[in-house]
Amino acid sequence: MIELNKITKKFTLHNQGKTNILVFNNLNLKINPGEIVALTGPSGVGKSSILKMIYGNYVFQSGQIKINNHNIDHIYPRNIIELRKNIIGYVSQFLRVIPRVPTIEIVMEPLLEINSDKDEVREKAEKILLKLNIDKNLWNLSPLTFSGGEQQRVNVARGLIRNYPCLLLDEPTASLDSVNKDIVLNLINEKKDSGSSIIGIFHDEYSRKYLNAREIDITKISDAK
Amino acid sequence: MQPILSVHNLNKYYGNQVGCKNMNLTLYPGEVVGVVGESGSGKTTFINSISGNLIPDSGKILIETGNETIDFLEISESLKRLLIRTELAFVHQNPRDGLRLDVSAGGNISERLMSIGQRNYGNIRQTIFKWLDKVEIDKSRVDDFPRTFSGGMLQRLQIAKNLVTSPKIIFMDEPTGGLDVSVQAKILDLLRKLVRELNLSVVIVSHDLAVIRLLADKIIVMKNGEAVESGLCDQVLDDPQHSYTQLLVSSVLQV
Repeated sequence: MIELNKITKKFTLHNQGKTNILVFNNLNLKINPGEIVALTGPSGVGKSSILKMIYGNYVFQSGQIKINNHNIDHIYPRNIIELRKNIIGYVSQFLRVIPRVPTIEIVMEPLLEINSDKDEVREKAEKILLKLNIDKNLWNLSPLTFSGGEQQRVNVARGLIRNYPCLLLDEPTASLDSVNKDIVLNLINEKKDSGSSIIGIFHDEYSRKYLNAREIDITKISDAK
Repeated sequence: MQPILSVHNLNKYYGNQVGCKNMNLTLYPGEVVGVVGESGSGKTTFINSISGNLIPDSGKILIETGNETIDFLEISESLKRLLIRTELAFVHQNPRDGLRLDVSAGGNISERLMSIGQRNYGNIRQTIFKWLDKVEIDKSRVDDFPRTFSGGMLQRLQIAKNLVTSPKIIFMDEPTGGLDVSVQAKILDLLRKLVRELNLSVVIVSHDLAVIRLLADKIIVMKNGEAVESGLCDQVLDDPQHSYTQLLVSSVLQV
């Protein structure tokens, strides 16, 4: 369960004339287990910002964010680190990895946090990479030289190799062809059916319908815009 | 869970000059804390003051060994030396500062082992090979002198030398500082793997925000000897609150 209660979020740009940008005012949102929420609204309205607040990347000025009843509180970074290890998964839009690390190891990494049996983890990583049509010949190469669609699927594999109770998805299908898009959407549906609370940004109507997502227009749930 | 290292209100002055002031840090087992800031901001003074290389003027440093809490600034010099050889390790920016260049690679790695009382040649030799393998240095180089090694190899040797006694807390001052980027990537990958496999707790100083982003869980941003902002690494870099951090983050060149 993910809950946002009365969130206020603003950016203060100290070096650009102390400009204040109010992004959210009195934002309320709740995502139940086994549910997918799709955020909609024009570009710049704060869709990614919501995901980043839930994941702890962005601070908020007032209100409360609760993940399975744990508060996101930046006074205690340790708690956010623990939540990320155990409860929240995040598939970001772009792959951020150490250069020269093989794809297979990048996909294995999140699972190694909780499972030290390397062979078992490798098997699972191979399985999900196969499912996502990443060619076997690429597994031992760094994904940094891959095509956009391949990189995105590596990112998805890394994010979905575990079963997180809460899952944040930032355009996970944006640069995929229709075959691979369906594969990723099916994987996401599996996570939903296993009881994850899922919130995401999906650029196309097709994906939102396919996932049977509850659509939320941000401009209608925050007073700021 | 208890922090393995906690620093409270640490101050270090050079005469009237501030080295670092009012510094605090909490490090949990398996956690990596990055210290960033421009040159002259006090990063190195801070890491030297909490690792036993410098004696701070005031403050408290508590180290949790599992059995007891050690007040690092109050213990005897001999106990401090022992801790520095066993529970703590320091990886210098310049590997030549952390290695003995006129002793073989194997000899460098075995030094800490022997200092904690290991004498069995066979066992020591085995441990050396295990560590050369971990840091990806060919076994055949074991009896070569470090001066015949490349910069990247020297840095990996220094890491092996430091980690061989399974220290709990590792201090690193710009460990990828003087290396070309392809070697830097390899060292970063190595460090990340070791942190996870050995559940290391690390304090790492770097002026390179990309390095810190990839390695650190938490971050401390220093300016003029003081911490201006600290917290979760992703948060401080993605949504910096202090004007100096905003300046620092926005000054990074995009590739």
